[in-house]
Amino acid sequence: MDATSTISMELATPTFSQRLWQLAARREYGIAIVLAIIIAGVTTKNHDFLSGENVRDILIHCTQPLIVSCGVMLVIVTGEIDISVGSALALLTAVLGWLASPTHYHWPAWAAILATLALGAILGLINGLLVTLVRIPSIIVTLGMLTMLRGLTVILMSHPRPDGRAGDITDMPYSVRFFGIGKILGISTSLWITAIVVVFTALLITFTPLGRRIYAVGSNPHAARLSGLSVTRVKIFTFMFTGFLVGVATIVTQLATVTSGLGQGFELLVVTCVVVGGVSISGGVGTMIGVVLGVILIQIQSTVLIFLKLGTNAANWNQAIQGALILIAVLIDQVASRGEKRIGGGH
Amino acid sequence: MVRIGHWIGSVALAAVIALSGCSKSESTHESASQPASAIKPTVYLLPKKKGVPYFETCAKGAREAADKLGVDLTYDGPTSGSADEAAKMIEQWTLQGADVIAVSASDPAPLAPVMKSARSKGVHVITWDSDTPADSREFFVCQASAEQIGNALCDTLAKDIGGGNADNADGEVAIVTAQMTAANQNEWIKYIKARLEKYPKLKLVDIQPSNDDQTKAQQVTQDMLKAHANLKGVFAISSQAFPGAAEAIKQAGKVGQVQVTGLSTPNDMKKYVHDGTVKSVVLWNTVDLGYLTTCVADALAKGTLKKGATTFNAGRLGEKKIDGDVILLGDIIVFNKDNIDQFDF
Amino acid sequence: MLLLVLIALMLTAGHLEPKFVSSRSQEGLLSHVWDLAMLALPMTFIIITGGIDLSVGSMMALTSVTLGKLYIAGHHPLWLAILAALCVGIACGLLNAIFITKVGVHPLIVTLATYSAYRGLAEGISLPEIYSGFPDWFRSLGQNTYGSLQLIGWLFIIAAVFCAIVLAKTPFGRSIYAIGFNETAARFSGLKVNRAKVIIYTLSGLAAAIVSINYSGLRDNAQANVGLNMELDVITAVVLGGTSIFGGRGRILGTILGVALIHETREFVGWHYHRNEYVPLVVGALLIVAVAANALLMRRSSRT
Repeated sequence: MDATSTISMELATPTFSQRLWQLAARREYGIAIVLAIIIAGVTTKNHDFLSGENVRDILIHCTQPLIVSCGVMLVIVTGEIDISVGSALALLTAVLGWLASPTHYHWPAWAAILATLALGAILGLINGLLVTLVRIPSIIVTLGMLTMLRGLTVILMSHPRPDGRAGDITDMPYSVRFFGIGKILGISTSLWITAIVVVFTALLITFTPLGRRIYAVGSNPHAARLSGLSVTRVKIFTFMFTGFLVGVATIVTQLATVTSGLGQGFELLVVTCVVVGGVSISGGVGTMIGVVLGVILIQIQSTVLIFLKLGTNAANWNQAIQGALILIAVLIDQVASRGEKRIGGGH
Repeated sequence: MVRIGHWIGSVALAAVIALSGCSKSESTHESASQPASAIKPTVYLLPKKKGVPYFETCAKGAREAADKLGVDLTYDGPTSGSADEAAKMIEQWTLQGADVIAVSASDPAPLAPVMKSARSKGVHVITWDSDTPADSREFFVCQASAEQIGNALCDTLAKDIGGGNADNADGEVAIVTAQMTAANQNEWIKYIKARLEKYPKLKLVDIQPSNDDQTKAQQVTQDMLKAHANLKGVFAISSQAFPGAAEAIKQAGKVGQVQVTGLSTPNDMKKYVHDGTVKSVVLWNTVDLGYLTTCVADALAKGTLKKGATTFNAGRLGEKKIDGDVILLGDIIVFNKDNIDQFDF
Repeated sequence: MLLLVLIALMLTAGHLEPKFVSSRSQEGLLSHVWDLAMLALPMTFIIITGGIDLSVGSMMALTSVTLGKLYIAGHHPLWLAILAALCVGIACGLLNAIFITKVGVHPLIVTLATYSAYRGLAEGISLPEIYSGFPDWFRSLGQNTYGSLQLIGWLFIIAAVFCAIVLAKTPFGRSIYAIGFNETAARFSGLKVNRAKVIIYTLSGLAAAIVSINYSGLRDNAQANVGLNMELDVITAVVLGGTSIFGGRGRILGTILGVALIHETREFVGWHYHRNEYVPLVVGALLIVAVAANALLMRRSSRT
């Protein structure tokens, strides 16, 4: 059919079930060790780093990328990719703002939220249908969506307000913001929601038939199809799930105002987190713990640099450090897995 | 069979393109298709970044002037804020036969050569909001120079930190900018740094990018609040950074202890000014800025404004002073609790 | 087929905006296309092998900063700065290639990492200063036209013809297709897979350097912001030109048409609607519709 099947055929070595876990487990140790070193280093320089308040804030910084990563991880495990999430996040936030804000349509919070989640799922469905039924490569579909949705967001945000006044959406009602800044049992609602999403995804991939199918599709679509699995349905599900989760990420926003610049570069951030977390871009491999650690490792970086108090020019190096971090992560991983997988060179 | 498929596909695609072309041409104004005439000058107004409230309010004033003066006004600019894209648009408008192009330069370096080349082809080029080197334009419609903006931001924050008296200001300050590479912001930072020397007790400890993303702005402000215990003030110098930084201070419960200021349209920050998070917002009347720019462009195209004039009659704004080749809008406004409700833009 | 779409677009454009299709306008707008066109050539090779290069825009930034830092800030002679910029471009491409071939990491991940790393280095090295003030002779090389094309235009034509011949007629070109079609098979049949990959990724770096040097001449500045978001445009152009993202299929002529179509669409949307926000909308839709049409037609033709 085409090269995807050949790629996955090659990778479908008999290592699937057990050795997969061994491999992935090692990657998690690797990230955990790097994380521990970084945290230990910063804490010796600045003791406030491990204060309860800071740990909470770091976790809150992780909420949006982590929620979306759960979906993108599944998409990548099936051997596809979704890079439209950045623009989708911007568009959904704008839509949520338009629907919920008292200066705009002023829908009740539940209706605005449901509509946002539904729109997210619909965007995901469109991606999924284009990938499976029309058979356009997912990177193309989501690249196209990335540009289109960004354009739509700008059009929506510069559309004249219903009340005829100038300015952005500045007053997201508290009933919506409760999911971002509210607290349940003393812990931020956004953390509860993220925890639910992560646990749900972990249960989904470990204990349900659907989860096993997702991995089967990614490791060998031909075999999966022959054994009677609907590859199409599985893939559509992962895209819809991702879209839905972008909707969830929209709702846990910490912000009261909506501007059109949201989510720029978010898609690459998420893919980076997922890949650093050990999910193989060729499909079939990846664990929830790895992704969680990957997100924390990437998101903690900016906080770390601020806590090191390196002065006013230090932030110019942020991006270089992030790039180097990814290179080191893949390098360690590759060197570590050399011994086990000889045929790995290529792709 | 294959060939027929190809034909069907291409005809369908062509139809889609043609249809989209026709249907939309009715709804938009057909400024481009009309030939430039002496009676109705074609004016192109270029913002640094399209789609942000600052420039949308400028456009509002510009449209008001255009309707009054009978100017064929086109307002367009890069939604990405890329100066390279802006340069390409200027080149395109030159080919389209613009009479006047009014440029707000996000980065003078790539724009100045293009503007010079447009001038050499007989187009009047002016700058507004943000200037380029003097030989690349005829006039600059100026609300404030980068130096004045930097000074105003610095003085305002010092005053807010000092509880009304700038000389009492003491402690650490930080900057949240757009991208680290944003030319405009870097220019302001330069002048903020210079002005800070006037306040020896204020120490600049960090500059962080927000990448034009409010969430990121909120996160870095939050981190800086914790990392620098003595942080007393934040300059949030982009339209995304300002609300993000204000929200971070509010959520950290540091309202009153840490001051934040920046440039923003009053409507966007009213909420934070009223709840006390933000004491002062620095800006000028953006609607009037757009209005004045269009008036100048119109006068230039009709030949009523020449080099060497010392005053300019700008409709409802009255007489405006011209200083050399700089047309002055008026003063920087500091919005606070008492006056912000008087402005609606 | 792409040609027909292009013709349809130009006919529509000519109907709505007669001035847009005049040779004067088209010539004037031509300078906007060369960056995209130049980078699309090596990208075609890369995508045919089943790879991808997300770091082209960042390589442009790093070479641009090298040029500016050495010449403007370091007061070194310009020829030396240009040479250094070219070397940096080649080195960046080579580093990508080494990670892809020797370390064996997927190109998407390697270039995603270097996408951050190269631009990050450019920002760090320049402490985002903007270097301008290049000498007149250098700027005229970027700006002047020689027989209606700029220097880089002629360079592109030569490069395109060269690439087309190499891809279609030489053993090297055949090995590019073979790698994309089935890499393992290519390896087993004795093709120098790694060498081919090193060459094409390095060429991508070289092209980025050339484009950014030309940019410095054209716009008289060098900075870390150059080439922002360029990678997605280039990939869009190549894929629109019929190159399969899975590898094994694609032609230089297709890429040229893809580049032309994106260029004309973008300029026309700007020219006619004066709504910059429509541009991504239309280009994104064009990409999806074109590839979808292609996929549907392919399926139909394989069925009959």
